[in-house]
Amino acid sequence: MAILYNTEATLAERVEECLEDDFKHNAIKNAQEAFYVSRGKLVEEMGDGWQQLRMHAMEVRNHVTENLDYYVKQFAENAEANGCIMHYAPTGDDALWEVLDIFEKHGAAYAVKSKSMMTEEVGLNEILEETGIKIVETDCAENILQTAESKPSHIVVPALHFNRDAIADIYREKRGYTGSNVPEEITHFLRKILRHEFMEAEVGIRGCNFAVASTGSVTLVTNEGNGRMVDSFPKVQIVFVGIDRIVPDLESLDTMMALLPRSAVGAKMTAYFSLDSGPRGAGEIDGPEEVHIIFMDNGRHELANSEFSDMLRCMRCGACLNICPVYRHITGHGYGSIYPGPMGLVLTPGLVGYDDIDNMVFACSLCGACTEHCPVSIPIHDLVRQHRINMVDEHKNHAIEVPIFKALGLFWSSRPVYMAGMTLGPPIMKALAHGGQALDASSAWIPVVKGWTSTRDFDVLSSTRFRTWFKAHKEAQADEKGGEQ
Amino acid sequence: MALGNKTLNDLVSPISAQLGNARVADKVDMPEWEFKAQRVTDGLSHEQLVDMFQAEAEKVRVKVSRCSAADLATCIGDIVREGVPGTGEECEVVCANDERFEQAGLYDALKRRKLVSKVTVWDPEAGDANVDAALVATYGITYTTGGIAETATVVQPTSANCGRAISLLPLVHIAVVDASSIVATMHDVMKGFEESGEKLPSQVCFISGPSATADIELVRVEGVHGPMYVHYVIVE
Repeated sequence: MAILYNTEATLAERVEECLEDDFKHNAIKNAQEAFYVSRGKLVEEMGDGWQQLRMHAMEVRNHVTENLDYYVKQFAENAEANGCIMHYAPTGDDALWEVLDIFEKHGAAYAVKSKSMMTEEVGLNEILEETGIKIVETDCAENILQTAESKPSHIVVPALHFNRDAIADIYREKRGYTGSNVPEEITHFLRKILRHEFMEAEVGIRGCNFAVASTGSVTLVTNEGNGRMVDSFPKVQIVFVGIDRIVPDLESLDTMMALLPRSAVGAKMTAYFSLDSGPRGAGEIDGPEEVHIIFMDNGRHELANSEFSDMLRCMRCGACLNICPVYRHITGHGYGSIYPGPMGLVLTPGLVGYDDIDNMVFACSLCGACTEHCPVSIPIHDLVRQHRINMVDEHKNHAIEVPIFKALGLFWSSRPVYMAGMTLGPPIMKALAHGGQALDASSAWIPVVKGWTSTRDFDVLSSTRFRTWFKAHKEAQADEKGGEQ
Repeated sequence: MALGNKTLNDLVSPISAQLGNARVADKVDMPEWEFKAQRVTDGLSHEQLVDMFQAEAEKVRVKVSRCSAADLATCIGDIVREGVPGTGEECEVVCANDERFEQAGLYDALKRRKLVSKVTVWDPEAGDANVDAALVATYGITYTTGGIAETATVVQPTSANCGRAISLLPLVHIAVVDASSIVATMHDVMKGFEESGEKLPSQVCFISGPSATADIELVRVEGVHGPMYVHYVIVE
């Protein structure tokens, strides 16, 4: 999968399909509410500390962005000094090339993977499978998606769009599961079948939440422990690290970790957080013998020193998804990007440009809830608006909007035209409303009007203008007063 | 440009160009940070921190015992007494190779337990047999290097005498933590690493409770790939 998927359908078609799936958007709604409540409690507990942490995280990440070339170099040199084998990937294709090369050198054909958005971004699974390499997703949700051949609907809990019955059926059909649809039983079945995969796999592939420049360390945050399994038993490990994952030192790593689990899932800490600095040491029995770091840019550097540089602070927690009213309804699949929701609206065009994203950046009400919730204070909705401005400036919006807005501009700037419209409007609307007080769904055949009236009523314009009424009202008042005297 | 075989310079120069830098700076000083966050642990006494560590641990369903160094073997022996949780069958135990365990007489005490059929002490000479033992063990016992009160976290570095498998593969992880090593936040641990100036171990794992997921309908399930049960033993 590349960044964009399901692009054969238009944004409107994808959205419509998602809106019709009640189970899916109810599942997202429940997740949003659960995360919202638990996050809220933790934030409140911290008092002023929460805002101070956010501000500190912002200054730390901005400092890295402003000196990104220095910190990229420092991380790379320190990771290499730790004994990691560095692979530099200015593009996603470079990354794929390097990964294939590692598999070829080892003659490996079997890999386990813990969830990594970077690998999704470059379509790693598809490429490996094409070359005959077996790659097993080990995060429960990702394994469900891989087994069902489906796509993530949320970046933190990606398989929410399947209910327990569907998941049990998937494993019955594909993996010989014979148990019930109880989540605990299904999960323990996964523990059993995946444990075998972890121990047998030749290569472990994983992502990195934060990379520490001063120590050359990579980190991984998981609750299930699949990340630790990938990190402990395959002899060869491949770590995908984005150039926008860097924190300068271990103390700032603490700041980010105080924000990440609270923002992502409303927990003080995840079950596991590992800080990895090179391959297994002398005398160690487990852990990778070889660590390969794929250090990837893939368009990120263009965000630095640009109007979107704030986005380089993003730590992919999903807090903005968990509060977004649009995401709640259209779900991750509506956007057509592996990065959905508010952060996706900013990041997706930032990485792939405006040509292939349809009107994605308009799938936002600009309410600003995302900005308020972002743990690193990215002005997300302002950046969404900036993308819109750019799209219009570059004529990347729908061509029909230009004549429409020209006509509207003319209408409102010319008094005679406006007055004519105001005179003609009420009788025309009245006729369309079949003499009633509001246009209803029966008027949904009219192209622009349809967007509103297919689901709600639109009141008919009054035949009397307010100014006319007010003038008459004042005159009547004056007359009354005159009469009293 | 051909694919692959790119150098660090290939990665860094477009970034420098974007930033308007002619070359990468030799040194960038960390600025004086403007913001410092207060934490919920600020101003607490050490005793209060230890209590918070225990209370937070219990919130994430970790069982907590406290004992003196002299009672360590008995305390851990009591935990493994029930055999395999749920079934009460005989079980195997895998332990880190730690002088403090030796001194406490832990290995011998475990061997004497009725329901313990085998005790494996991690041995760098024994190679993969260590991992095989951890795969079938019900209990994995480690001596952690620290605890974090705010998040009920134990700090578990990997070493030749304590493999990653011990705290990961068995059904139950018993993590021993010295009360004196419990600090307020992760910041204290990180600062400690920085001040020591030593190279970090190949892995430092911060463990905060049992392995868990909520991937199916957001129902919390414990015991995914790591331990289903976690015990902290605080040595006072």
